[in-house]
Amino acid sequence: MADSKDSGAAVPAAVAGAIAAAGGEMVSGVPEPTFEWMGLTNQWGVRVRPDEHGLRLGDLNVGIYGEVPEVWDDQTRRPRGALPRPGIPPLPYNLRAKHQMWADCAADLYEEAIQRRWIPATEVPWDTLETLPEDVERAVCQVLTELMQYNNVEIEIINYWQDQMSYGYYEVKQYLATTSFDCARNIEALRKRALSNGGGLGLESRGSVNRMILESRGGWTESVAYLYLLRGTFAMQILRGLLVHAHNDAERFIYSHMIQDHARHLTYGYDHLKYSITHQDGQAGIMQTLLSIGEAMMGTELDDPVLRSAMAIIMGGGIEAGRTKGMDAYLHLVGDFVRDYLSICDWLGVEREERLNPNIAKYLEY
Amino acid sequence: MPQFPSADWFQSVRDVYNSDPSLHSGGGGACDTVAGFKIGAESYLITFEGLQCADVRSAPDKEMNDADFIIEMSEELWTDMVANVQANGKADLNHTLNSIDLTQEESIAFSPVDDQYRQDLFYRFNQNFQDFFDASARVETTFK
Repeated sequence: MADSKDSGAAVPAAVAGAIAAAGGEMVSGVPEPTFEWMGLTNQWGVRVRPDEHGLRLGDLNVGIYGEVPEVWDDQTRRPRGALPRPGIPPLPYNLRAKHQMWADCAADLYEEAIQRRWIPATEVPWDTLETLPEDVERAVCQVLTELMQYNNVEIEIINYWQDQMSYGYYEVKQYLATTSFDCARNIEALRKRALSNGGGLGLESRGSVNRMILESRGGWTESVAYLYLLRGTFAMQILRGLLVHAHNDAERFIYSHMIQDHARHLTYGYDHLKYSITHQDGQAGIMQTLLSIGEAMMGTELDDPVLRSAMAIIMGGGIEAGRTKGMDAYLHLVGDFVRDYLSICDWLGVEREERLNPNIAKYLEY
Repeated sequence: MPQFPSADWFQSVRDVYNSDPSLHSGGGGACDTVAGFKIGAESYLITFEGLQCADVRSAPDKEMNDADFIIEMSEELWTDMVANVQANGKADLNHTLNSIDLTQEESIAFSPVDDQYRQDLFYRFNQNFQDFFDASARVETTFK
């Protein structure tokens, strides 16, 4: 809801009176200000009202401030809706088309992220941690180490592209800022858990998918396909598996909150891919090619024995049971990832079942 | 003593949930969604607004499309989950919505109109729903 008066570019009549009323002697040698800038606006008199949810970012999309163009040619930092100033040198904002970053949910997700914060230092019930069998503690710390890297990569690739996103789509830039912060908080919580129960960090990930994500320079949409559709969908299953096998309330708190944060990230990712595919000719075909490449890399990484054996130990409750029921449970979890992935690809209009990389397809039997 | 499942039972859980701010910390903030629960032949719509459960009511099937997502399980699974909450004060790790979902062939949560964005709310607000059902530990419950 908003009230709005007509736009205007004239110096407001009230200004001259206000200057006179201010009294005060002019400082000699300083040019007398004209206050002409006070009349320079695209739209004045806007009065957005809060509703029962408060005053949210999306509520501000009224009048010209709600006009989100298909292409934003301005290469300056001008906020959407502000008047351009001649002579501002261009900056390297290379993503200037809406389909390159947009998701309709971005403003809502920003509000959700801002409201649903949590504080690892004081809200996680750290006093519920108890000493675990060494094999289990080592497995937990190994998985946490790799999850920390997942989050590092997410921050890095977002920051790389965020710099290049034009200000015409500020909702997305705002939302992605919260995502970076979510990831920083995840790293904090994971590191604290790893270093507070007699263990330590484990082995660095082989990192093939990390590298693929970081080197995806064809556009933000390509990065989103790898970061969220492939890696992110898998990471969600890992987090859900960890939650089922949490050893105490501290872990339960951390994993359940990370799942909610991560779900928000996936929502943006899936929504952006859908937008891109439905608004850009040929994008579905490009996605097919990208996913063929990405699945191959993902399949190779899934064969890496470190994460799979660590997860199997956690899900089995130790090395012994990790070899049997733990590994069965882990393979089923990977199967769930592949099923989710295929289902989302279908929803996106990029059917993958017939073309699925064999190294990924083999998990469908679990 | 309300019987599960029934509108009275959900109303009692809602009263407990709304009266105890410690149950609202699951997500760390506001939760705005309409969730549908299908329990055997019965259906319910639960509206969350901000930190409160604003409304619970039984709903005919045709109204279930109003839900952002629907959680559907057999009556046996629902009863097992609620009984576990009653016994333990909150769901143990094998009886959370997350763990039950992972053990089923098909996901227990789906969008009635195939809207991925709305279906994702099941995960984005998952801990709020868990807190809601965990609140039922304080509702004396009978089962059919």
